[in-house]
Amino acid sequence: MSRNNRWFAPTLLSGLIAVGALSPVLAADEKPKRGGTLFYHMVAEQRVLNPALRASNGVYEITGKIVEPLIDRTYDGYVGVLATEWSSSEDGKTITFKLREGVKWHDGKPFTCDDVSFTAMNFWKTLLNYSSTLQANLEAVDCPDPHTAVFRYSRPMPLNLLVAALPDLGHPLPKHLYEGTDFLRNPHNAAPVGTGPFKFVKYERGQYVIAERNEDYWRGKEYPYLDRIVWRFITDRSAAAAALEAGEIHESGFNGISMADIERLSKDSRFDVGTKGYENNVAHSTIEFNHRNPALADVRVRRAIYHALDIDRAIKTIMRGYAKPGRGPIPSTGGANYTDDVRVYEYNPEKAKALLDEAGYKPGPDGTRLKLRHRVAPWGEYTQLWAEFFAQSMREIGIDVTLITGDAPGFLNAVYRDHDFDTANGWHQFRADPAVSTMVWLRSGAPVGTPWSNQFGYKNEKLDQMIDDAASELDPEKRAKMYHEIQRLVMEEVPIIFAIEHPFISVTNKKVKNHHNTPRWNSSSAYDTWLDE
Amino acid sequence: MSLVETHIEAAPPSGWSEMWRRYRRNRAAVLGLILLVLVLLMAATAGLVEPDDPLRRAGEPLTPPFTSLATPLGTDQLGRDILAGIFHGARTSLLIGITSTVIAISIGILVGAISGYFGGWIDDVLMRITEAFQTIPNFVLLLALVAIMGSSLENMILAIGIVSWTAPARLVRAEFLSLRGREFVEAARNLGVSDAGIIFREILPNALPPVIVFASVIMAISILLESALAFLGLGDPNYASWGNMIGMGRSVLRTDWYCVAIPGIAIIITVLAFSLIGEGLNEAVNPRQKKS
Amino acid sequence: MLSYLLRRILQAVPVVLIIMIGTFLLLKLAPGDTVDALVGDMGGADPQVIARLRAEYGLDQPVWVQLWIYMKKLATFDFGWSFVHEQPVATVLFDRLGNTLLLMVSSLLFAVSIGSLLGMIAARKAYSLTDNIISTLGLLFYATPSFFLGLMMIVLFSVKLGWLPVGGIQTIPSFYTGWAYVWDIARHLIMPTASLSLIYLALYMRLMRTSVLEVAELDYVRTARAKGASEMRIMIHHIARNALLPVITLLGVQFSTILGGSVVIETVFSIPGLGQLAYQAVIQRDMNVLMGLVFLSSLVVIVVNFLIDLLYASLDSRIELS
Repeated sequence: MSRNNRWFAPTLLSGLIAVGALSPVLAADEKPKRGGTLFYHMVAEQRVLNPALRASNGVYEITGKIVEPLIDRTYDGYVGVLATEWSSSEDGKTITFKLREGVKWHDGKPFTCDDVSFTAMNFWKTLLNYSSTLQANLEAVDCPDPHTAVFRYSRPMPLNLLVAALPDLGHPLPKHLYEGTDFLRNPHNAAPVGTGPFKFVKYERGQYVIAERNEDYWRGKEYPYLDRIVWRFITDRSAAAAALEAGEIHESGFNGISMADIERLSKDSRFDVGTKGYENNVAHSTIEFNHRNPALADVRVRRAIYHALDIDRAIKTIMRGYAKPGRGPIPSTGGANYTDDVRVYEYNPEKAKALLDEAGYKPGPDGTRLKLRHRVAPWGEYTQLWAEFFAQSMREIGIDVTLITGDAPGFLNAVYRDHDFDTANGWHQFRADPAVSTMVWLRSGAPVGTPWSNQFGYKNEKLDQMIDDAASELDPEKRAKMYHEIQRLVMEEVPIIFAIEHPFISVTNKKVKNHHNTPRWNSSSAYDTWLDE
Repeated sequence: MSLVETHIEAAPPSGWSEMWRRYRRNRAAVLGLILLVLVLLMAATAGLVEPDDPLRRAGEPLTPPFTSLATPLGTDQLGRDILAGIFHGARTSLLIGITSTVIAISIGILVGAISGYFGGWIDDVLMRITEAFQTIPNFVLLLALVAIMGSSLENMILAIGIVSWTAPARLVRAEFLSLRGREFVEAARNLGVSDAGIIFREILPNALPPVIVFASVIMAISILLESALAFLGLGDPNYASWGNMIGMGRSVLRTDWYCVAIPGIAIIITVLAFSLIGEGLNEAVNPRQKKS
Repeated sequence: MLSYLLRRILQAVPVVLIIMIGTFLLLKLAPGDTVDALVGDMGGADPQVIARLRAEYGLDQPVWVQLWIYMKKLATFDFGWSFVHEQPVATVLFDRLGNTLLLMVSSLLFAVSIGSLLGMIAARKAYSLTDNIISTLGLLFYATPSFFLGLMMIVLFSVKLGWLPVGGIQTIPSFYTGWAYVWDIARHLIMPTASLSLIYLALYMRLMRTSVLEVAELDYVRTARAKGASEMRIMIHHIARNALLPVITLLGVQFSTILGGSVVIETVFSIPGLGQLAYQAVIQRDMNVLMGLVFLSSLVVIVVNFLIDLLYASLDSRIELS
């Protein structure tokens, strides 16, 4: 665990500002060199290279270098990229952005408020996953002048919620290339045109994407330092690890190689291995309950299950130490909204058995107290091992767990549409603000068939009200307190076990400099990244 | 496809002892038998090695082989005993091999017998369906079936059976085509024996030997297919299976190669056993190929 | 000849129809659809976005309507649009066809040539130690899961020795031209070809051995031998020529099997080919891509089988096409 504390400790202090003060761990005294090609591993192919159409880490890993957002998150807090300043009206219904002047799209056309307005109404509000809920109350984006964008909402929108969401969900597109076309089939969805430090060159399906230096980048002629970035699609993780060692790729992010190889390469002096640069991308490994099952509707059973999980052991064996125990729906990198002042469930099988006894689930003649059908999340090595670990642990307290595996559509369908499961494990990513995509795991009323939402049959009216209140609270301090209350309630009730909190892990060749110097580095633009070759 | 299917023909009915004598002469085939007995022994004694649950935590995760008495072949990422996995995996592999072969052969016999016996449009229809199954890449079909039914062990066995029946069907059909005109069939027909009676009691016993030989090939292929599915992450995690062990071990291949190598060798030995036996049976059934 | 061709086509049509309708219904039976898969890839989406995508892709229509629309389009060789790749299916398939053909052809060539050679040697020295070694080796090849071999080769040749690239089909970005380009691709093909062809190599070896032994019994070969023709001459002119026939037959049957085998190999070696595509199409419910792929591979199998019949007839004058 010591390895992680280095990265977690600062964020625990007081969120982002403190991190900024502690962050110049990367040698700033070295003089950057110009040139070179950065080879970047992608474990899955990304067919849609449009961050205003598909919000996902894989898309950002590529498009982050080509298409820029209004705002980015750094260790010094939120900073403007295509926006320069932002402010909210008193009632929270009008949010005004000043846009950066003199920025050009890669095809030479100027970037203006028209682009922002067009993208916000046609993509962010309607087509972009997760953003459409966030922007549901967006009525219009006005352009009083080419470099001012006024977002008008029908209900108050907390400024800090919007700002936290925009690094991921706020990429403007060039209006002149999209207007009047079929947005879903526009060729630029796979050949992005942005304002970023790198210009898209070529996408060879199944093999690679190439982007080259933007000679006319707004940050100045010295940026970016690199000549070219090549993203290589290598689906086999062992092959990717070998490619890293052979020097064929420089960077593999988002756990692109197996945990065993990550641990192995962490001992190799040629690589930097760590979770720094993922503070904006922390995920939880969860255990989800179907509350329609009377046994699981009993909070004592859920608590018993929590007590039977040796989380520290799971972290050590499955995540190789690159994780920490979860403390509810908001991860420790969640800034002011996070609290660790919650009820915890230590590993204690005896207590678990006592709780099951109390709930009336005594061992039968064969020692079995309860039979559960568990859906295994198909999201790779972590989730597979975590499910098997869960089954192992449950057998130790007399709960017989049958694991059911399937592919992604099968899993999503069974859990979120058919509700055909007793327990499931999952992988939920926190997206900077709890209102973006986290509270939907807990709030009742999500339409059937919506993945990563509360399809668990859990309904708590008090919690629903608290969630709604927090989402529209304008005062950041009050809002943070409300989220603390929510976390405390969730840890009491355990509707879902947010068992383990883990940032992603990168393996980076040490020739790469200025890497992971922002909390969402892999999703960001790499304008100041350089190669020491 | 198989090593032997293309040169199997009806065996002249001969005594079991004669076949065994011929089989015994083939040293490789005897080796196959010994290997199979070994695998059978492992399956039979799995309960002694690990009476409780081969998936339970038996020791520290990733203990290398030959370093702990409790787990002589080491442990995997979740501390599961590899030795117990190999022994219980032998059960799983044999179960998969035998059951899916029975399914494949049953479908094959039914389709082949009906097709070959009745001929005409029935034959046409059944053969078009058989061709359709042969034309579509069978592993892709298998993936689709597993995607539909889910990857529980029972469903995988069924899916493997469904993609493997075409070769035995053609084999049986060919036998029926050549046998249906024989005198004993005519005699039975004249005696008023029903079609089903003729098919199953008269012709089938004579058509069976090549199918039985081929069964060993299907068993070998079934075990390989299961391991490939598990390798792609579509195995059933509720059972100790060699394929699952390789699939899981793949991520620790570079550091803890034994997690892959040990079950890999187990698969090779078992498949080799079935293949050698198939060879031996083939030569025993078709002695005219034996020349010395 | 022409009527023979016509009859073959007439026979092929129902087969293709069975395959296409079967595949369509199969994938429709599977839980979840391509929008579920997309949403899974994206890491989730709001309900509005999900409903909108489903309507956009026509997935809210009844299954029979979807099938009818698809078959009508297919009749005009319009393969439709892939919602996963956001490209026309024809483009998706065409992009990957070359890589898979390269892999398949090199594997089959390797398997047939080396397999036949070993088979001939084994047959020439039938029941000798050499024969036993070759035969046992063949069965060992046959028993080795291809992905297991592939993984082991990566560890040895790429990682430990550094001789061969770990995956992919070419160096990226590749600025090679001419022979350097060919050599680059060849280097990338060595391990996948070896892994994929091993099992087929064993098959052809076995088959060749048996065929040679059978042909050697035939009268005209005995006659040639009695006339004192050299062993080499007998082998090439009399035995190999005829023994090749069953090998060629098997080749036709193998075409679809080897496409299935390439699913695993292309996954191990990160080769963007049809095998990997087929696997992804299944787990992403990318109906149009899977249908296009199955259609294409059925056509290939049927055409290859037809060509093999022709070849068969020309190699062996005793066979008449009728």
